[in-house]
Amino acid sequence: MSNNYVPSVSMPRRRFLEMGLKGGIAIVAAPPLLSHMVSCSGFTANVGPGLETDKAALDRVIAKALKQGGDFADVYLEGRILRQIIMEESRFRSGLYGVSQGAGVRVISGDKTGYAYTEEITEENLMRAAEVASYVARNGKSITPVNIAEGKRESFVTVHKPLEDIADSRRIEIMERANQAALDYDPRIRMALIDYNDQVRSRVIANSEGLYLRDELPLLFFIVQTMSDDGTNRHMSRERISEHSGFELFEKDTPESVAERAARESIAMLDAEDAPAGTMDVVMENGFGGVLIHEAVGHPLEADNIAKGIGAFTGKMGQKVATEVFTMVDDGTLPNFRGTINFDDEGTQAQRNLLIDKGVLKGYMTDILSAKQLDLHRTGNGRRESFRHIPIPRMTNTFIEPGENTPEEILADTRSGIYVQSLSGGSVNPVTGIFNFTCREAYMIENGRKTYPIRGATLIGSCMGVISSIDAVGNDLAFGPGICGKGQMAEVTAGQPTVRIRGINVGGSRG
Amino acid sequence: MDNLYLADTLIGRGRRMGAREVEVYIQNSRNLTVRVRNEDIETIQEAAAGGVGFRVLVDGGMGFSHCNDFNDRSLNDTLERAIAFARLTTPDEHNRLPDDMPHQEVEGLYDPEIARLPMEKKIGMALELEAYAMKDERITHSSGASFGEGESEIIIANSNGMLKTYRSSSCYVGVSVVAEKGDQRHTGWESCSRRFFEDMEPLEKIGAAAAKKAYEMVDPRMVSTQRAAVIFDPAVARSIVGGIIAAINGERVLQGASFLKDAMDEVFASGLLTIVDDGLRRRGMGSKPFDGEGVPAGTRTLVEEGVLRSFLYNTHAALRAGVESTGNASRGGFTSLPGIGTHNLYLKAGPHTPEEILANTQRGLLLKGVTGYGINPVNGNYSGGASGFWIENGQISHPVQGLTIAGSADDILRNIDMMADDLDMARSFTAPTFRVSEMQIGGA
Repeated sequence: MSNNYVPSVSMPRRRFLEMGLKGGIAIVAAPPLLSHMVSCSGFTANVGPGLETDKAALDRVIAKALKQGGDFADVYLEGRILRQIIMEESRFRSGLYGVSQGAGVRVISGDKTGYAYTEEITEENLMRAAEVASYVARNGKSITPVNIAEGKRESFVTVHKPLEDIADSRRIEIMERANQAALDYDPRIRMALIDYNDQVRSRVIANSEGLYLRDELPLLFFIVQTMSDDGTNRHMSRERISEHSGFELFEKDTPESVAERAARESIAMLDAEDAPAGTMDVVMENGFGGVLIHEAVGHPLEADNIAKGIGAFTGKMGQKVATEVFTMVDDGTLPNFRGTINFDDEGTQAQRNLLIDKGVLKGYMTDILSAKQLDLHRTGNGRRESFRHIPIPRMTNTFIEPGENTPEEILADTRSGIYVQSLSGGSVNPVTGIFNFTCREAYMIENGRKTYPIRGATLIGSCMGVISSIDAVGNDLAFGPGICGKGQMAEVTAGQPTVRIRGINVGGSRG
Repeated sequence: MDNLYLADTLIGRGRRMGAREVEVYIQNSRNLTVRVRNEDIETIQEAAAGGVGFRVLVDGGMGFSHCNDFNDRSLNDTLERAIAFARLTTPDEHNRLPDDMPHQEVEGLYDPEIARLPMEKKIGMALELEAYAMKDERITHSSGASFGEGESEIIIANSNGMLKTYRSSSCYVGVSVVAEKGDQRHTGWESCSRRFFEDMEPLEKIGAAAAKKAYEMVDPRMVSTQRAAVIFDPAVARSIVGGIIAAINGERVLQGASFLKDAMDEVFASGLLTIVDDGLRRRGMGSKPFDGEGVPAGTRTLVEEGVLRSFLYNTHAALRAGVESTGNASRGGFTSLPGIGTHNLYLKAGPHTPEEILANTQRGLLLKGVTGYGINPVNGNYSGGASGFWIENGQISHPVQGLTIAGSADDILRNIDMMADDLDMARSFTAPTFRVSEMQIGGA
């Protein structure tokens, strides 16, 4: 039966959404009217979305969410204005402007979570979402919610040149400068791709514990990719900067400098030879190499899989899991960092969390649910991509604490192996602990010296194996911005000083 | 307001605001996810969502904007934003919206039954699936099972007179379990996605497949670094085929950022390699009557017996290349500009059974799991993490994990020497088992 081409049955939006009515669960959208609860003032030019909410209405929604039972309920309202401008091959390919808003209601009952969201924020819609979310709590024990009152949280973000005051022509100028600098670097740079992104995200959080919080965070993300081609080899490289910041970010790190860093790598890698295969020592340069511990150790320390009893670090609290030189921290309070959050998306104050101290496991990263399940403190790691997602434990700014050695000492002390200068990214299976990451710029180490570049190889290992094999940590801690995916996206930074890992499997094509 | 009428109204409004060409993309969707773990509900999520994306051309410059608020003022403001952005971007003669071309209907994109099933049935299916996956005593933990469903209605309209819509549905179940033995943990996962509920695989089969993936990896052993044959299971074919598809993306080819940029009509792979993209398959998960900008979808042979036959184009890339769009504009919803992608992509089946391929392999790796980015479309470099089974004398010897495999696309694709007959056409990106005669394997 063909049902695909149905202009004759094209439905009004409202009827379409009502098709969700079924089996005791219903969520439908009300007529499209901007609500009295949230007014997005940002729809006209150059103003951020200011969310204003009606606390009494939120109290009613929370009460409704817990009416059937449940231990906890929250309401999350979000507005976002984003811009993206793309320049490819010296042309402005497109400019994108987007507005999104919505709100979700969550109910936790024991280990169960119910969640529903709506994009049209009216009290009526939120009440319906509350009803859907409360389905999981049927016949559960019930609590009486505390009426919400404005809470206070420390902020770690300062803005000097707000994004909403910046004319689009200035964004364009930044991109043109980066493009020119990349092409001027070397005639073998054939193309630059410049991707400018900024957004302002507003949050309102209210929960059954009486918490009410709101804030607004800007985020800048600037990416330069350059491609070199010398007729035989080609290499695409990438350089990114990102902070919760105003436009002053480009004074700290100029577009020219970002572009030149990308171009340098593109040219250097034209001489790359095949990488060797098999187990060898690896020296990782400081910076975004921190994605190694983000994957290999960070994800397995997120408490959701620990609460399920299946995470690689389950039952290892207080035990020695790494070498003495290894101390690892997740810190959501680093000033203006991309992974900084002030408070997480459940309202918990961001903090510095010591995860592994001189090799001993000290902490997991929790959200409200996993903290309750494991009887641990809330660490401020309950994050969500948007109102369309439930919060889960996520990293913020994760890094290895600096050690004693200079990077030069570590390299000179490494007889042979691979020197990894930049990574494309990586992934981990948080249950088995097996991780991988792919080098973008890497060199052979011969007799304690960096020699010729090698083509992008994958490095793989197990998290337990790698942290007990890190035997040297440098004094040169640096960070890099990242996008972390775990079913939903989160902005993070990963950081590390130069480190050496003994014996890691390298996926080269040379035997 | 009727959405078709709304789309038409917005095009007129955009033209009056100064846009030469206007495209309106409206999407409304509804989805439900039920997750269970340890015989109880873990999460239930349900939502209805929708929004509008505007693509406008002003003096050859292109602007794009989107919003998820159907309020009249918001729509106007968002449309104005796109027009303002279009004035800032570089004029490009290849910025055009497609003409209104008639398209072919695709049978079986929407199943009204899915939404009518009671909630209890959906929760029950997830619970049952988990129970099947936990049945084997070697399975020690559940990571959870889920049931999901979604449906969406898409409207594409533009100022060349186009006004098109289609509706589609899907449902899926999936389960993930753990086999623990001492300090070892192995995960196994299986899922099934279909347009129609009645086409779902039996839950028992899905559960058993997830369990097997976990327990059969228990007690892996390391092998030494060496060159040997690699048999690619259908589950890992994407790591090879995905790189080919990225490399024939017409836009990437125009930018010179593809290892296949000069390979049109050339032999670049084994004669066993034929790749077809079919947008019109009945009930296909990747089927659609028209692509992300309204150009009719079709069926196209991309690679024929090792010879490259077609690049993939959307309207912009096609105009730039001086060819017709191949109907491969992809769209990540109303928030995104058209990119380039495939519909139902398959690698044509060969003559052998997977068992014959195994029996004909003296020594090598039966690859079941890969990590990493697959073939790099820019330079053809391939390197990844690998797990699966080691083969000795045509038989499986033991599980392996923590290996690496690597090579150049040129070597890998030319060395495909056996192709199996086990093609699962229910998937939207699918391949049979195939063997690469020799690759570099990294181990101890």
